[in-house]
Amino acid sequence: MPGIITATLLLPLSGGLLLVLAPGGGRRGGGARVFALAVSLGALALALALYARFAPGVAGMQFVEEAAWIPALGISYKVGVDGISLPLVMLTAILTPVAVLFSFDDVRRRTRLYYASLLFLETGMLGVFFALDFFLFYVFWEGMLIPMYLIIGIWGGSRRIYAAMKFFLYTMAGSVLMLVAILWLHFAGGVGGFDILAHFENPVDASLQPWLFAAFAASFAVKVPLFPLHTWLPDAHVEAPTAGSVILAGVLLKMGAYGFMRLAMPLFPAAAQEFAGVLMSLAVVGVIYGALMAMVQTDVKKLVAYSSVSHLGFVILGLFSFNLAGASGSVLQMVNHGVSSGALFLIVGFLYARRRTRRIEDFGGLIRVVPALSAVFIITALSSIGLPGLNGFVGEFTILLGVFQRSPWFAALAASGVVLSAVYMLWMLQRVLFGEVRIRANLELPDLSRREWIVVLPMVALMFWIGLYPKPLFDRIEPSAKAWLAQVSRRAPRAADAPAPKGRLPRLARAPKAGGR
Amino acid sequence: MDVAYPVIHWDCLLPVLLTAGGAVLALMWDAFFPRGGRAVIVAITLAALAAALAAALAAPAIPGRAASFGGMYLFDGFTRFVFVVILAASVLAALIAAAQRELDDAPAGEYFGLILFATSGMMLMAATRSLLMIFVGLEVFSLSLYVMAGYLRARPEGNEAALKYFLLGAFASGFLLYGMALVYGATGSIDLAEIAGRLRSNPASGGAAFSLGMGFMVAGLGFKVAAAPFYMWTPDVYEGAPTAAAAFMSVGPKAAAFAAFFRVFLSTEAAGEHIEAVLWVMAALTMTLANLVALRQSRVKRMLAYSSVAHAGYLMVALVASRSSPAPAASGFLYYMLVYAFMNMGAFCVLVALSNEKEGGEARLDDLAGLASLRPGLAAAMAVFMVSLSGLPPTGGFVAKFQVFGAAVKGGYLWLAVIAALNSVVAAFYYLRVVVAMYMREPEGRAAGRRPHPGWSYGAAALLAAAAGALQLGIFPSPALDFAHRSAVFLN
Repeated sequence: MPGIITATLLLPLSGGLLLVLAPGGGRRGGGARVFALAVSLGALALALALYARFAPGVAGMQFVEEAAWIPALGISYKVGVDGISLPLVMLTAILTPVAVLFSFDDVRRRTRLYYASLLFLETGMLGVFFALDFFLFYVFWEGMLIPMYLIIGIWGGSRRIYAAMKFFLYTMAGSVLMLVAILWLHFAGGVGGFDILAHFENPVDASLQPWLFAAFAASFAVKVPLFPLHTWLPDAHVEAPTAGSVILAGVLLKMGAYGFMRLAMPLFPAAAQEFAGVLMSLAVVGVIYGALMAMVQTDVKKLVAYSSVSHLGFVILGLFSFNLAGASGSVLQMVNHGVSSGALFLIVGFLYARRRTRRIEDFGGLIRVVPALSAVFIITALSSIGLPGLNGFVGEFTILLGVFQRSPWFAALAASGVVLSAVYMLWMLQRVLFGEVRIRANLELPDLSRREWIVVLPMVALMFWIGLYPKPLFDRIEPSAKAWLAQVSRRAPRAADAPAPKGRLPRLARAPKAGGR
Repeated sequence: MDVAYPVIHWDCLLPVLLTAGGAVLALMWDAFFPRGGRAVIVAITLAALAAALAAALAAPAIPGRAASFGGMYLFDGFTRFVFVVILAASVLAALIAAAQRELDDAPAGEYFGLILFATSGMMLMAATRSLLMIFVGLEVFSLSLYVMAGYLRARPEGNEAALKYFLLGAFASGFLLYGMALVYGATGSIDLAEIAGRLRSNPASGGAAFSLGMGFMVAGLGFKVAAAPFYMWTPDVYEGAPTAAAAFMSVGPKAAAFAAFFRVFLSTEAAGEHIEAVLWVMAALTMTLANLVALRQSRVKRMLAYSSVAHAGYLMVALVASRSSPAPAASGFLYYMLVYAFMNMGAFCVLVALSNEKEGGEARLDDLAGLASLRPGLAAAMAVFMVSLSGLPPTGGFVAKFQVFGAAVKGGYLWLAVIAALNSVVAAFYYLRVVVAMYMREPEGRAAGRRPHPGWSYGAAALLAAAAGALQLGIFPSPALDFAHRSAVFLN
C-alpha cells in the first residue's frame, strides 16, 4: 500500500499515461478534459488530506517513504514533505485543476496530448517538491521540462517554437551543470550516496563548496529567473497558452527559489554566505529592472511576465538574508506570487478570449462593460502590488523585515520595487479598466461566465485568506524555516578540523593538464 | 619442445560458432532455394542470433575458464555483455533490413548472411586479448560492412559510400596493423596481458616505438568508432548506405571496436599518461565537433550520423575514465552501449518506415512535419528515441549518461564531464528539432502514403522492442545495471 505522497504522485502520472495510451475513443476531446479535471481534483483531494494530516510544529520531514530503486548506484525512491515544501505542494495541487478548467474552452486541438502533458507536468512539479533523493529530484526536475516544452510548443502563440526551444535549452543548460555537481557531491562529499537528508548532516569541505554551489545556483538561477538569466521568461510566458502561463508563473518559477532553499543553501552553507552579496545584488537588480521593464510593456501578458521577475527577486532577497523573517516570508511569498500571478494570467486569458488581443491600448473603460471581471482584476492586481489585507502584503512585508535586519540598503532598494510595482500595475489598470470606452468592440464584451467564476474564485479566496489570516500557513512554515536557518547558518567544516572525506577527491587541476595545453 | 594442444572451452565459443554457422546456412539456403526463401532466411538469421544470445548468457565467465586458444579467444564478463549488445543490435538490424522496401529485391541470403558474418567478426574483435585477433575480427566485420554499404548498386550515393568506406577503412586497417607491429616490436608480444606485464617490468619497452605504435592503433580504432578527427567518412557512408545497414554500422562496430579499445587502453596504462591525454582531447573534440555540425543538418539521416559520432565521444569519456576508475567506467560503457543500441537503431527504424512510404530520397526534417497527427505511434516512438538520445529522464539515455559522467567525475576528469554535459545541451537542440517538426508543425500537403510494406511487421517489432528497451532502461534500470556491474570485470 503506497503512502499518501506516492498516491499523490501516482494519480496524475497514471491519469496522464491513460490519456496517452488509451485507444481511439473521444475524438472530440470532451472526455479527455473531464477526465483530466477529475484526476487533478483527485490529486487536490489527496493534497488536502496531506495538509490535514500534516503535523504543524514539526520541523523535519513528514510522511517519509523510501524504497530501493537502483541499489547498485545507491539511488532510492525517497519522498517526504516539510513546512517548506507543503505550501508549494498545495499551490501545485490547486493551480492544476484551475489550469485544466480554464483550458476547457481555450484548447481545442489534440486535447488528449494536452491534458496528458498537464498531468505529467503536475507529477513532475509535485515530484520536485517531494523528492528527497538527488537522482529522483533530477529526474522530476528534467522530466518536467518535456511536457512544458510541448505545452508551449504545440498550443502556444505564433512564436511558440522559438519560445519553447529557448525555455528548454536555458533550463537544460543550467540543469546539466547541477547533474555534474550532484555526481561530484556523491563522490567527494562527506557521505556518499544520493540521499539529500544525509548530505545535510555532513556538509562537504569548505574548499569545494563554492564550485558546487555555483553549479547548483546556475540551474536554479535560470529557473527563478535571476537577472540576467531571465530572458527566456517573457518569451515563454507570452507564447504559452494561458494555462501554461499559469503553471509556469504559478509553480515552475518557484522551483528555482525552492531549489536554492532546499538544496543549494543548506548543502553548501559556507558558500551560500559567501555568495549572498552577489545573489542579493542580482535579486535587487531583478526587482527594479523587472518593474521598470513591466512599466514600459504594451502587452498585458508581457507586463505580468516582467512583474514575475521583479517579485521573484524578493524571494531570493528574503532567502539570502539568513533570518527567520526572510525565510518564512520567502516561502509565503512563493505561494502568494503563485496565486496572484496565476490569477493575473487567468484574467489576461479572459480578456484575450474576448478580444483576441492583449495590447493595453486595445482596451479601456472595461469597468463599465464587464464590472465583475474588472473587480476581480483590481483585487488581483492589488494583491500583486501588496496591499494590506491581501496576500501579497504579508509576504513582501515579512521579507522586507528580514532584509532590513541584514542590510538596510538592500531593504531600501527592494522597497522601491514595491513602489514601482504599484506604479506599473495601477497605470495598467487605469488604461485597461478606466476612462472612456474608445473601441466599439469593447462595448459588447460579456462578463464572467459561470465557468470563469469557478476558475477565478478559488484564487480570490486564497488572496483574502492568506492576506487576513496567514497564521495556519505560518504555523506550518516556521518550524521548518527555523530548522532550515540553523542548517544554513552552520559553519562548514574546514579541511584541517574535519575527518578526511571518504573516497578520492576529484582533481580539478588534472583534466586541463591531461588536455595537453 | 612440446607442442601444447590449445585449451578450448567450446561452450564459451558457442555464440560465435552459432552466428557464423547461421551465416553459412543462410547463404546455402539462398543457393539451393533461390525462390521465395526470404522469410525463411530471416527466420534462420533471427534463430541463429537468438541461439547465440542464449549461448552467450548461458556460458560461464569464470576465472580459469575464460581463455581459449591461449588467449586468442577470451570470454569474460565484459565479453559477455558486449556480446549481448552486439547480438541485440544484430537482431534489430535484421528486423529493420527485413522491413526496408529498398532491400526487397536484394538476394536475401547474401544480405542476411553478411549481417551474421559481420556479427561474428564483431564478437571476435570484442572477445580477445590478442592484437592479431583484434585485427582479424575487425577485418571480418569491416569487409561485410563495405559490401552492405554499397548494397543498392543502382544508387550513385551507395557506390560512393562503399568506395569511401572501403578506401578509408583499408587505410585505417593499415594504420592499425602497422601500430600493432610497432607495439609488438617494442614489447615482443601480441598478447595484451603479456604486453601489460612487459610494460610494467621493463618501462623502457614503452619508449618511442611503442608510443608511435599506440598512436597508430588509436588512429585505426578511432576510425572504426568514428572519433574525431577520424570521423569524416561517417555522414557520407551512412547517407549512401541502405538505412538498415547504416543502423547496424552505427552500433555494432562501435561496440566491438570500443571493447577492443578498452582492453588495449587498460593493458597499456603502465606506459604513462600521454595516451590518456590524447584520448581526452579526442573525446572532447569528438563530442563538440559532431554536435556543432549536427546542428546544421537538414537531412535526418545525416543528423543521426553526426549524432552517432557525438555518442562515440561520450563513450570515449568512459574510455578515458577507465584508467582511474575502471569498474564504473567499464560498466558505464556497457550500459551506455546497450541503451545506445536501442535508441539509435530505433531512430533509424523510424527512418526506414518513412522512406518506405516515400518515393526516392532520404527523409528531410521537413518531411517529418506533422508526423504526430499522421502517424501518432511512429511519432511517439521517434520522440522517445530523441529524448533518450538527448539524455533526458525518464529514458535510458539519461541513466547511461549519468553513469558515464559519474565515472568521469569519480576518475577525476571533472572538466571532461562538464564538457560532455554541456554538449548534451547542444545535442538536445537538434534532437528536439525533430520533435518540433513532428509535434509542433502542421503536415505539409503530402500525398497519401504508399500501401504499407508487407515486411513492416518486422519493423514494427524492432520499433516496439527498441522503444520498450529505451524506456525500460530509464525507468527500471536495475536489472540491466546490475548485469553491467557484474560484467565489468576483465579476466586475463
